[in-house]
Amino acid sequence: MTTSPPLAALTHRVVQWARRKSPWILHFNSGGCNGCDIELLDLLTPRYDVERLGILKEASPRHADILLCSGPVTRQSRDRLLRIYEQMPAPKWVVSMGSCSCSGGVFQGGHNILGGIDQVLPVDMYIFGCPCRPEAIIDGLARLLEKIK
Amino acid sequence: MSKITVPIGPQHPLLKEPLAFSLTLEGEHVIESAMRLGYVHRGLERLSQERTYVQNVHLFERVCGICSHIHSTTFCQGVEALSGLEVPPRGLYLRALLCELERIHSHLLWLGVQARNIGFDTIFMYAWRDREIILDIMEDLSGGRVSHAVNIIGGVRIDLTPEHRDVILGQLDTLETQIEALLGVVENESSFQGRTRNIGTLSLEQIRRYCVVGPVARASGLDMDLRRDMPYPPYDQLKFRVPVRYEGDAWARTLVRMLEMVESVHLCRQILTTLPDGPTSARAKRRVPPGEVVSRAEAPRGEVIYYIRSDGSDKPARVKVRTPTLTNLITLPDQLQNISMADVSVVISGVDLCIACADR
Amino acid sequence: MSRLLTQIYLFEEIFAALQDAFPDEEFSVEDKPMDDTFLTLAPDRVRPVVELLMEQFDIYHLSTITGDDVGDGVRLLYHFWSGYGITLSILLPYDDLRIPTLTDLIPGAAFYEREVQEMLGVTFEGLETPGPMFLPDDWEEGDGPVRFPLRRNADEKG
Repeated sequence: MTTSPPLAALTHRVVQWARRKSPWILHFNSGGCNGCDIELLDLLTPRYDVERLGILKEASPRHADILLCSGPVTRQSRDRLLRIYEQMPAPKWVVSMGSCSCSGGVFQGGHNILGGIDQVLPVDMYIFGCPCRPEAIIDGLARLLEKIK
Repeated sequence: MSKITVPIGPQHPLLKEPLAFSLTLEGEHVIESAMRLGYVHRGLERLSQERTYVQNVHLFERVCGICSHIHSTTFCQGVEALSGLEVPPRGLYLRALLCELERIHSHLLWLGVQARNIGFDTIFMYAWRDREIILDIMEDLSGGRVSHAVNIIGGVRIDLTPEHRDVILGQLDTLETQIEALLGVVENESSFQGRTRNIGTLSLEQIRRYCVVGPVARASGLDMDLRRDMPYPPYDQLKFRVPVRYEGDAWARTLVRMLEMVESVHLCRQILTTLPDGPTSARAKRRVPPGEVVSRAEAPRGEVIYYIRSDGSDKPARVKVRTPTLTNLITLPDQLQNISMADVSVVISGVDLCIACADR
Repeated sequence: MSRLLTQIYLFEEIFAALQDAFPDEEFSVEDKPMDDTFLTLAPDRVRPVVELLMEQFDIYHLSTITGDDVGDGVRLLYHFWSGYGITLSILLPYDDLRIPTLTDLIPGAAFYEREVQEMLGVTFEGLETPGPMFLPDDWEEGDGPVRFPLRRNADEKG
């Protein structure tokens, strides 16, 4: 289907607006202690309630825009992490949540650890903290959405 | 009927942590199940040999994010016993205060996750909203919501003023009202009971054979709680009851955890009102004399055991950790036998999985 | 109601019963901090001693099995608990890292034995091993990591 350039540009702007206003996230823990995961789940609960910002936590990679990873990459979970990333439709972004997924954290040097998420995937946003606070996660996601513009 | 294999893979909405199941179904019922751990194996036991004891307190806190304080408590307890250190009573009481607060937070977290897996999202929202009260208390005490870094070898690094103590007592009153309301739902709500009664039943005989610990064992009639049976200080000076049920199903496990939360609130009040005066820590030396010790404690999920061997240097020669989730996971094939696919989520989350704990 | 501790037997009673049952064995006993007692045994005595503890004293709660590479062999520690800790300590020489499994007596020992088997290379005769437990599927083919992570020569490929 060919559309005239102004219509295509308008469609593109509408799609970009929708992408920024309601980013759907998928969470994968590739080997972490669970601390960052429970702070992420806290975002869905009444105190932080990110659904009012348009963020929904999705179950399937095919529905998600942003992949939120926590935990260092272990040898066993590396293949699954790559596969999830490949299953997500473009455009997609990767956020590395917590010190372990940024660099390996306290587990650096472990015999089963490959390092942070950036050893395996291209990361768009790093959120530090051990574990990262819910406010930091919201801030990180907001900055990522600014970047997408 | 034909057989079909359903993978519940490392990434699944049901699971918060990576763990792979492979369920073979005949019609609607599970006839065989296989489990693959190891996605979260970070090799902590080997890493601990390359770090000093002080660094290891922080390393072992990150075995699991939900029960982090009890891990560092058990480790510090063992190292203090090896070094012959006497922790002052005020330090022990403050440690136990955080242990009990963590027990409440862990059970509320579990209740929310279990309710979500049943489909009862309202309880998830209510339980996690009430959990924020506990996280606020822990943050005011230690500076961290989930990871507190309160334990040092020799005691704790925090202290409490009388005004702060009164604030916490007020917050505990609010929390108790909320927990009683949730307990009312679990006991009386027919939809909750319909999804959890007679699901995943384990008999006392199975509990004994598999050496199961924690609320899963107490829900099947085994009266074991290290806080009362060992006991380790300061629980030898505190009064509390241990709830036990006999039905052995998912509903009994829910009830045991709810009643434990009520007991923990009473314990926190006791600790705060009878807090002894004095210092909160004793000075520890860098090197630990050679020896070995087996340290146990009652985590929210059951008995956690640490074996520590020291060779006289400032790094441990061997630290072995066995967490309660690893013990309780061995009952999953039995529990998953012959249940319908719809109940798989209830059974898997009823064991209170913490795969980070199990894999280390 | 079934308490874990229907009766807490004094350690002296248990030791006397062990000496009666195995008169030619010298059990060396060491007291450890935090109310634990270590009993050193030969590898072929583990099963009979565990059977005695289970039948006569109802000690069945195996907390865990620790494997430790101590330089002159791999030491196995079977940690039991019955109101206080009782640990059975066995030293296996490097050239004979084999011991019979306990899983027919205590099915709950399966995960602990599999872990020691995987991390230290001890063979538990009679243990069912459907596959690796903690180590990844590609462990043996990988370059860099060593075969048994908790062995002392883990800095070389073994």
